[in-house]
Amino acid sequence: MALPLAQEIIFGLVIGSYIALGAIGFTLVYGLVNMINFAHGEFVTIGAYVGFLSIQIAGLPLPVALVVTFFGTAVIGWAIARVTFEPMNDAGAVPLLLMSIGLGLVLRNLIRLVAGAGGRDVQVGVATYRFEDLGFFVTSQQLFIVGVTLLVVLVLHLFLSRTMLGIAMRATAGNEDLALVSGIDTRRVRNVVWLAAAGLAGVAGILLAVAQEASATVGFGQLLLMITAAILGGAGSPYGAVAGSYLLGIGIAVSVAFLPAGVTAFGSTMAFVVLILVLLVRPGGLVNAEVRTT
Amino acid sequence: MHGNDPHSDRRTRTNRRTFLKLTGTGALATAGLAGCVGTEDGDGGDGGDGGDGGSDGGDGGTATPTEDESMDGEDGGATETPTGPDSVLVGQPAAVTGQWDFLQPAVSQSADLAVQEINDAGGPLDADLELKRRDTAVDPQQAREVVRQFVNNDGAVAINGLFSSEITPLWDFLQEQSMPVVTPWPGTRFLDTRGGDKGTAGDTGDDEWVWRTVIGDTVHTAGAAQAMVDNDFMTMGVFNGTGAGETGYADAFVDAYENLGGTVAQRVEVPEGESSYQSQLDRLFDADFDAWVLALALEDATTAIQNWSQGGYGRQLMMEDGLMSPDLIDAVGEAAEGAWIAAGSTQGPNYGSFESKFNEAGDADIHTWGVASYDATNVLALAIHRAGETSPEAIEQNVGPVAREGGTTVSTFAEGKEALDNGEEINYEGAVTNVDFTQHGNVWGDVAVSQVTPDGFEEQFSIGADTLQENIEQY
Repeated sequence: MALPLAQEIIFGLVIGSYIALGAIGFTLVYGLVNMINFAHGEFVTIGAYVGFLSIQIAGLPLPVALVVTFFGTAVIGWAIARVTFEPMNDAGAVPLLLMSIGLGLVLRNLIRLVAGAGGRDVQVGVATYRFEDLGFFVTSQQLFIVGVTLLVVLVLHLFLSRTMLGIAMRATAGNEDLALVSGIDTRRVRNVVWLAAAGLAGVAGILLAVAQEASATVGFGQLLLMITAAILGGAGSPYGAVAGSYLLGIGIAVSVAFLPAGVTAFGSTMAFVVLILVLLVRPGGLVNAEVRTT
Repeated sequence: MHGNDPHSDRRTRTNRRTFLKLTGTGALATAGLAGCVGTEDGDGGDGGDGGDGGSDGGDGGTATPTEDESMDGEDGGATETPTGPDSVLVGQPAAVTGQWDFLQPAVSQSADLAVQEINDAGGPLDADLELKRRDTAVDPQQAREVVRQFVNNDGAVAINGLFSSEITPLWDFLQEQSMPVVTPWPGTRFLDTRGGDKGTAGDTGDDEWVWRTVIGDTVHTAGAAQAMVDNDFMTMGVFNGTGAGETGYADAFVDAYENLGGTVAQRVEVPEGESSYQSQLDRLFDADFDAWVLALALEDATTAIQNWSQGGYGRQLMMEDGLMSPDLIDAVGEAAEGAWIAAGSTQGPNYGSFESKFNEAGDADIHTWGVASYDATNVLALAIHRAGETSPEAIEQNVGPVAREGGTTVSTFAEGKEALDNGEEINYEGAVTNVDFTQHGNVWGDVAVSQVTPDGFEEQFSIGADTLQENIEQY
């Protein structure tokens, strides 16, 4: 007997996984650095190209390339933030926002200039498992993407809850001044946040490169969904971002299945309908906790 | 040279563009900057505008051809100019950057090859043909500024380029310029009933100034539809993006397919840039059909094809012509194996001789638009030579006559120039089509259906232009 909506939910989990990996980093930066980073999509793009180089040029197997991409993108992202955002850390949210918009544009075109206009394909073998009786199929690539995301969420949870650095991050997110007078090195915390945010964006990038291809706009194309997921979950909350991402992903996949055939292009629009409805009911997002208010 | 008298009787028909050219290029000549400035004994000022209805406007210009002296498209092939310009500039709006920049190298290589051949043969009007390339990034606003620069600052006498997505929004602007545009790019159905000289070569009053040397979407979608019907695929699904190009292709295909008796069982439109198209494909393949057509930009198409292959949906795939790229093979050559793609045949009457020269000229990957660029450049040069002067109006009047049927068949500028100098009419036959312009400035060509293999595209069969013409009313 076919399971109703099983196929749509699988598709939705995959879409949600891409979004989640990017949204976690975005919301961490929002919560701890107090800025909306519109250049976050370019961190995803950098990850896609690091992944391409790791797999296609260096010949690394995908799991190893994933680790290399995480650390590689983390360092690149951190270095970019050190040069651009950190010097204006006290300038306030609006200058940082404008800087991120400009930086995103510059990075996007710089990547296009260096890497070329065409996409770079990342070849990975894919097996398809069919469950005809249950009415769905799933591919090894889909399982890998969802599995990696869930692993990342688990590691992040352990990091935030079981390590001193993670606890310091949560304290800084709650009240930076109080954290500072408590002896927490908030500068170090910000460095770790940039490393983690860029690294996770890199993981999203390599997974997108495998599923699509590495191109100059692959990350930018996901940015709006990442921001939406972060707001939906409760800006600043990584757990909320994960929940928001999967809600969006499943919402998009299910809406495509049920919308009239002529308007299936509005599937992604349904994500924003979900966002509006949730915010009307819970202005603080799913977790109902806006971490930063200034 | 540049002290134009604003009250001169000769300028009564000078329009705004001519005024700007005269004043602008006069200043440029002083600064020694212009690449298209007339000589003192030449056309009197703008270098590219020898006649313009007799409104050349140079204050001391001599031997300026008048309308009577210039060839108006109806009379013979004499091209002798008492004193011609040293150089003639043609502007080429180009996709040097932007999402279509991967197509530009072949177009540039072909155009440069043609210019080299033209100048080796002595050039139009025995002047050097210069091709000035400016980047539009396929952005309509940038394209508008580029055309303005060509017309007002550079003294270009014609335009060799512009994409569908630039021509459509800039249509009125282009008409205002009254400058011939011969372009290898646009497939849009917008041009099916717009452009050309309406079959009246000697009268620019009804001209719409835009000509294309590549076959339009209407033709190759009709070819794709014909191919499906001929192979008994009578029910189809349609999967297309929401961009203007993708919806335009899908609409044209559906119209042609249904006209041939086919039925579209399901049509799914998808946004660009999705990380996965599995949901949308699942929706499409809920319906019962024999084959499906895919109209998406390359990056999204590779994602969709990967998803289609992994989902095991099967059924014959027909892809839009824009996907005929080596990049598609690199990305999904195996996943898409067996799929069809219908595109305007690159192989026109003189493709063989062109191909070897093209390969020697550089390492760009050849494609339809690249071949059509060679034809566009040659047609413009021949039109200039036949016009006997370099005013846009005179060139416009001669675009049709050098390429339409009748007269000595030529395949290069050198052959055409020789025939024109001998007083013969000519019929330029191109590398990609025979360039017999319709009244709307369009060309017909065969549609080749190729099959995707892991190593490339293998042509399976072709649909002749004659067959397609039977089912297309206006073009």
